[in-house]
Order: sequence, then C-alpha cells, then structure tokens
Amino acid sequence: MTSLTYNHFFILSLIVFIIGCFGLFLNRRNMILILMCIEIILLAANINFVSASVFLNDINGQVFSIFILTIAAAEAAIGLAILVIYFRNKGEIDITQINQLKD
Amino acid sequence: MFLVGSFFLFAAFLITTCIFVIFSKNPVNSVLFLVLAFLNSTFLFILIGAEFVGIILAIVYIGAVAILFLFVVMMLDIQITTLMFNIKRYIPLALLFAGIILAEIIYLTVFKTSKDNLDTFIRSKNNTEQIGDVLYTEYFIDFQLSGIVLLLAMIGAIVLTHVYRPTIKRQNIESQNSTTAEDRVKLVKIKSGEGIKDD
Repeated sequence: MTSLTYNHFFILSLIVFIIGCFGLFLNRRNMILILMCIEIILLAANINFVSASVFLNDINGQVFSIFILTIAAAEAAIGLAILVIYFRNKGEIDITQINQLKD
Repeated sequence: MFLVGSFFLFAAFLITTCIFVIFSKNPVNSVLFLVLAFLNSTFLFILIGAEFVGIILAIVYIGAVAILFLFVVMMLDIQITTLMFNIKRYIPLALLFAGIILAEIIYLTVFKTSKDNLDTFIRSKNNTEQIGDVLYTEYFIDFQLSGIVLLLAMIGAIVLTHVYRPTIKRQNIESQNSTTAEDRVKLVKIKSGEGIKDD
C-alpha cells in the first residue's frame, strides 16, 4: 500500500461518520453537541463524495458536495435559531425535557 | 510516499479532533475542535486535488457555521454539564458500529483492492473551471434552488428569533399613510389679549 487509493478515504469517512453517530447517541443533555454531531456526519458525507469524485475522475461529486455544504449551512442556521428560542423559553438546553413542547 | 504520509497525518488528526468534539465537557472547546476537524478535511481535499471544495469548506464552515456555533454557545450562558455516560446502555450500539467498521475494512482491504491511482489522471482544466463548467449549465436549476433554500433559512432564522418590543420606537408605515392633515396640524385663531388656551 504505497499509493493513495479510494479505500483510504472511504474508511476515513466511515470512521468519521461512526464517530458522529455515536456522539449523537451519547449526548443526551446538550443540544448544541447534537447539532455539531450532525455537522460531523455531513462532513463525512462530503469526504466520501469528494474523494469518490477525484478517484473516479468525475466532477459531479464535487458539485454535489457544494450542495451538501449549502444544506448544512441552512440546517445549522435553523437549528441554532430553534435552540435560541428554546433556551429563551426554558432557560436550559436539556434535550430530555424537550417533549414538554407537545403539551 | 509523501502523499500517503500526509494523508495518514491529516486523517489521524481529523479522527482525534472529531473524538474531542464529542467528549469535551465545555461546548466552546467542542466548537474549536470542530473548526480544527474542518481545517484538517480542507487539507485532505487539497491533498487529492479538489482545491475548490476544500477552500469553500474552509470559508463556509470555519468562517460562517463554526463562528455561528461559537456565538450561540457564548450567548446562551449554559452551565457545563457532564456527559450522561451510561456505558452499559451503549455497549450493543458500540459493538454494532465496531462490527460495521471492521466488516468494511476487511471487505475493502482483503477482498476488493482498488486499482485507482491519483497519478494516472491527466487534467486539462483546473478544478475550479471543471466545477464551473458543470455547475452553471447542467446543475443550473439546482444551483438556483440552493440559493432559495439559503434565503428560506435566513428568513426562518430571523422570524424565529425576532422579538417584538413595543417600547422601541420605529417607523410604522400603516399609521403614517392613514393619517390626514387634520390629525397633525390645527389652525388656531388667537384673539388679542387672551393667548392660546390649551384644551
């Protein structure tokens, strides 16, 4: 294994994706960390798209990576706005208490 | 060989910073480690020749998204909470994920060896030109739609976090347009020696 192959990048993106998923399950008290874990998962998807695009010599993957970036930015803005109004109403960001919103 | 060495350096750094994002107790530290993780993935993208996406990742994520996170973390003034780490509850999940990783690595390294190599490609145009050729022709509608998504996100965030305060004086266009001259100006005839009576 002296040359860089797609397998390297695929395993790297898989590990990053699993770290993000695991953080999503592990953090039950902090809503900001959950948003950050979603960002990590989207980063893993981006790594996979871009490396596949480079190694298959097809530019469409990088274009899709730009669209993923757009959606990630929009999602972060909306998520943080929801977080701010939740904190303003409740005074905490404990996600275990968020099911009281349905009452 | 330099390429593989750099890849392993940046990949190890990326994984380490991602783990630190999850396990640090202070959310400010988490955001700063997230910035470091994005920076490392930028290096990785530039390493394999996807310069445009790498630089866009640096600008959008480090310059906008991570700083937005940092502002919110600093604004919310949350107390540092310890992680609810119940190891027994997560053992099946951890074993599942570890099994998936192990199966993928074994499948990729033993059964399926990729022959694709970076050195064989001949690029006639640079990366930004290639993306621009496709993005503004084939994906033109998608490009415009992503702009609309960003606009919707901006409007949504403003509407969600906007607080109406009646004490703040600002221009009210409806009341301005509905007033007449009689509401604002009054003609008063002053008799001599009496002055104006305030009624």
